[in-house]
Amino acid sequence: MSYARTEIKGIIFSNSYQAYNGFTLVCPQEGNGIWLIDMKGNLVNHWNINNKPAGYVELLPNGNLLFAAKHPENPLYEIEGAGGILIEVDWDGNIIWNYKDPCLHDSFYRKNNGNTLIIKWVEIPKSIANKVKGGVSGTEKDGVMWGDEIQEINQDGTVEWKWVAHEHLDPEVDISCPICSRTEWAHANGCLELPDGDILVSLWKNNEVIIFDKKTGNITWRWGYGQLAHPYNPILLDNGNILLFDSGYHRPGIDLGNSRILEIVPKSGDILWSYEEDASQLFYSSTISNCQRLPNGNNLICEGSTGRIFEITKKGELVWEYINNLPSYSPSVYESKHCKVFSAMRYGINYSGLKRKSQIIPKKQPAPGVDFGNNMKTTENKKKEEVTEESVLNRLRQLGY
Amino acid sequence: MNFGLTMKKGVTFYDPIRSDNGYTLICPKYSKDMWLIDIEGNIVNRWRMPYLPAGHGRLLENGNFFYGGQLKTNKEVGLPEEFSALGGILMEVDWDGNTIWQMEVPYQHHDFQVTKRDTIFFSAHTENSILPYDYAMKLEGGIENTEYENKIWGDAVIEINRNGEKVWEWIAHEHLDPKIDDICPLETRAKWPVINSLWICRDGNLLLSLRVSSEVVKVEYKTGKILKRYGKGKIYHQHDARELKNGNILVFDNGNHRQNYNPSFSRVVEMHPETGEIVWEYKGNPPSDFYSAVAGANERLSNGNTLICDSQLGRIFEVTEEKQIVWEYISPFRNENEGSNTNFIWRAHRYSNDYTGLREKNLSPKNFLWENRIYGPNLTEKRFTPFVF
Repeated sequence: MSYARTEIKGIIFSNSYQAYNGFTLVCPQEGNGIWLIDMKGNLVNHWNINNKPAGYVELLPNGNLLFAAKHPENPLYEIEGAGGILIEVDWDGNIIWNYKDPCLHDSFYRKNNGNTLIIKWVEIPKSIANKVKGGVSGTEKDGVMWGDEIQEINQDGTVEWKWVAHEHLDPEVDISCPICSRTEWAHANGCLELPDGDILVSLWKNNEVIIFDKKTGNITWRWGYGQLAHPYNPILLDNGNILLFDSGYHRPGIDLGNSRILEIVPKSGDILWSYEEDASQLFYSSTISNCQRLPNGNNLICEGSTGRIFEITKKGELVWEYINNLPSYSPSVYESKHCKVFSAMRYGINYSGLKRKSQIIPKKQPAPGVDFGNNMKTTENKKKEEVTEESVLNRLRQLGY
Repeated sequence: MNFGLTMKKGVTFYDPIRSDNGYTLICPKYSKDMWLIDIEGNIVNRWRMPYLPAGHGRLLENGNFFYGGQLKTNKEVGLPEEFSALGGILMEVDWDGNTIWQMEVPYQHHDFQVTKRDTIFFSAHTENSILPYDYAMKLEGGIENTEYENKIWGDAVIEINRNGEKVWEWIAHEHLDPKIDDICPLETRAKWPVINSLWICRDGNLLLSLRVSSEVVKVEYKTGKILKRYGKGKIYHQHDARELKNGNILVFDNGNHRQNYNPSFSRVVEMHPETGEIVWEYKGNPPSDFYSAVAGANERLSNGNTLICDSQLGRIFEVTEEKQIVWEYISPFRNENEGSNTNFIWRAHRYSNDYTGLREKNLSPKNFLWENRIYGPNLTEKRFTPFVF
């Protein structure tokens, strides 16, 4: 614990003229839930969940919350990003849909038609694993190297198609980072569907982004070697470009600790826009983290390892800054409190998923350490309730305001 | 980490009973002013030097300030920016800043030591230390084809006397093994092994920290032979290796390019001199709270506390053996350099109240009224208020 660092939390800076007005979804790494806060840092909603969050979280246009959570049977449970269950809950925390597969990890991508792309771990056969280059030799987990599989599942949980990464990656070309373990090849940590139907995947361990054709499975484009250092969370922009978080962890050469946000053109690799701080470590998160392009052109960035969420304009000017101070920064892994945030997303006040719900008046934030109890309901005992102002106030009362 | 921008400045925590107390010497990276502060954060002396510091400065036992200055920039010397902490001049000034001695030493970098017999050790990328072709071919590791102008710049430790005459020289490639002392797989092959700290042990031998090889070696003074290697596979791109009074070795393990998956963190480790086993370590809690990818320093104080310098964030703190912070200071000295505004500091040193170099010195903060109004404890903003409009 450092005294100076643990002292300042909450809203640090806010320029309400330039910031994109809305609500920010915060998914802390530890603690008991996912939070929605307004621009002033006030708490608007809290989803109390039993499972530990595993990474990305999304407020769907229908107002439900979709998130990845950890499953205790995950074979690589200790790895950050290990998941196992995808859960969709409504505004009050009632489970609407879930999908269990203990091997799930990192990200997911909800398509407009309701299908979901998921990433899961599969064992790589020894014959292929032996050919994989890079990594510290002898660091396979119990002699097994794990690979990735991308699946598209529909609402019933049926697999529509799947793509097994190690069948298509080339051991001569897709070389792992030399100082990472050989537990995995290539640790996909983000996937999305491009407008033309191809799938884009970011490979954490290989420092690259690839596009494959889902019909043939062939990799049609590779980019990032020599540019990226352990990237995170590619997202598709309205203009067809990709925004991603280049963490800078294990950056070759002079590694001062600098993360970058890059806007790249898929299938060409041109960097159209980038954001980084000139002084080292002013913007750096070696793990977790994500970024988002907002409708007014600003960018919301979650610097995960410091729990800092901030918004910058296209010119890189800071317009909003918040350091996670939600009650869930709880001691679990470490002896002291920490405020790491897996991911954060901003939704505008007119976002369809927030209709009616955004009218609720935020209450004063409760003091850290307040026990919110277990509010997770299952589908069986859920009552169909109309969300009214009264029901929301009841809910807030339940939460102990 | 915007921490450096929004955090409080000055002394943020002080426990007078458990702290070792004393005065702290600070050399900001991009400033020609070197500062001595007391335990409450008051400025008690300032040395206004002619050059930017290349590494750090020390307060000698005679009360003089000694440092390596950046005589020429990397561009003027003709070396790329990745040759960090490049100096070129060693200088000694008295308490009031009058030059006592100075000597131009080309390619000097990082560390120096002034010995009791009044000679000076320093590390330098001298031209005769450039790796011979055969040796460079044998040297393992590094990113392929990243040599600087097809050459790997080596490193040397040189001992000079006050007249500038070379008394002793140790050239890295004459003694190191190209297979054992290899280059980190993610470093360029432009320079090797980068001796970023040197320490004279009580037996007269030298302890050198080899940054690129991620290890600490003990070198016999008489023969130049490697007596012992420490930390290979345990520490990564470390700094400031030193021998403690109990014989153990204290080193700042930066953790940059640490193998296997771990969020970046730094730590301070104390190793057993014979076995190399780690007998004590300090990590942040959570570990990512304490990370300095480059530079960094540590020293053991007389009461057993450890002073740690988190260089990149300009943060100096003192921890007890039980890893409790008892003093913490954030450098308020921000400087602008080539577009980067940072409070990066080189190694910080603590001198106890009875240190001989501080005897009969005027240590009143009143001598620096104006500076204390800007950087001192009273007017440093204590309460943070969010800026919202």
